[in-house]
Amino acid sequence: MTDQPHEMRERWVLGTELTWAFGVGVLVAATISIIVFTALTRNINPPSNVERIDPKTLHLSGEFSEQNLGTLVAADGTVTARIVATQFTFVPHCIALPRGRPVTLRMATPDVIHGILITGTNVNTMVVPGYVAQVHTEFTQSGELLMPCHEYCGLGHSEMWAVVQVLSAVEFKPDGDGRVSCAQR
Amino acid sequence: MPVDQPRPAHNPLEESDIDEAALSAVLRTVPLGAAILAGSAVALVVLGYLAIYLLIFLPRGVVG
Repeated sequence: MTDQPHEMRERWVLGTELTWAFGVGVLVAATISIIVFTALTRNINPPSNVERIDPKTLHLSGEFSEQNLGTLVAADGTVTARIVATQFTFVPHCIALPRGRPVTLRMATPDVIHGILITGTNVNTMVVPGYVAQVHTEFTQSGELLMPCHEYCGLGHSEMWAVVQVLSAVEFKPDGDGRVSCAQR
Repeated sequence: MPVDQPRPAHNPLEESDIDEAALSAVLRTVPLGAAILAGSAVALVVLGYLAIYLLIFLPRGVVG
């Protein structure tokens, strides 16, 4: 006597669960579609770069030696900023970058894991010893943006920050070697 | 009963005097409320995600 309503209830519960599972599946598919669509049409992707560097010697020679740090405009017009993150400062402390132009940030560390973000933008990456962190971006507004270390790196972590100076095309003037520094402003 | 004797298993459903018809009537409406509650919670989370994605993440521009 009681088997029939029980069976109906079971069927109803199963139907509800399948409907709910379908709804969740639609949500997951929609979320993934939004991420893929944005990546393909707006060029917004998680920064990804696997490039090894020796943390013990990176400051002695090569790309991250002192004279190569800061912003460089190459002969073909590409803008690259090279930054060393070290306990407890960024070198250079102020980075001048242009507004409305694609820029590449390249970072390395000789000591421990650091992380950077630039406030008000999507720039956000870890800087891991032994690897070069690289982020491509384009700034849409001029001004000074704070760039703190966001990965606890020691007792001085809270004092570790830099400034990104986003300059208009008029202000962003490379010198004869293609270098741009904040002091020019 | 001696204290070291195992007690018989206690099944409250066997002893309850729940009316099957009343139970069915309740189960017809209670899961609907749970579904509405869960649906509303999921809808709020999805709306929050979309609001942050469209109003904060996308305007912050290109990164890769």
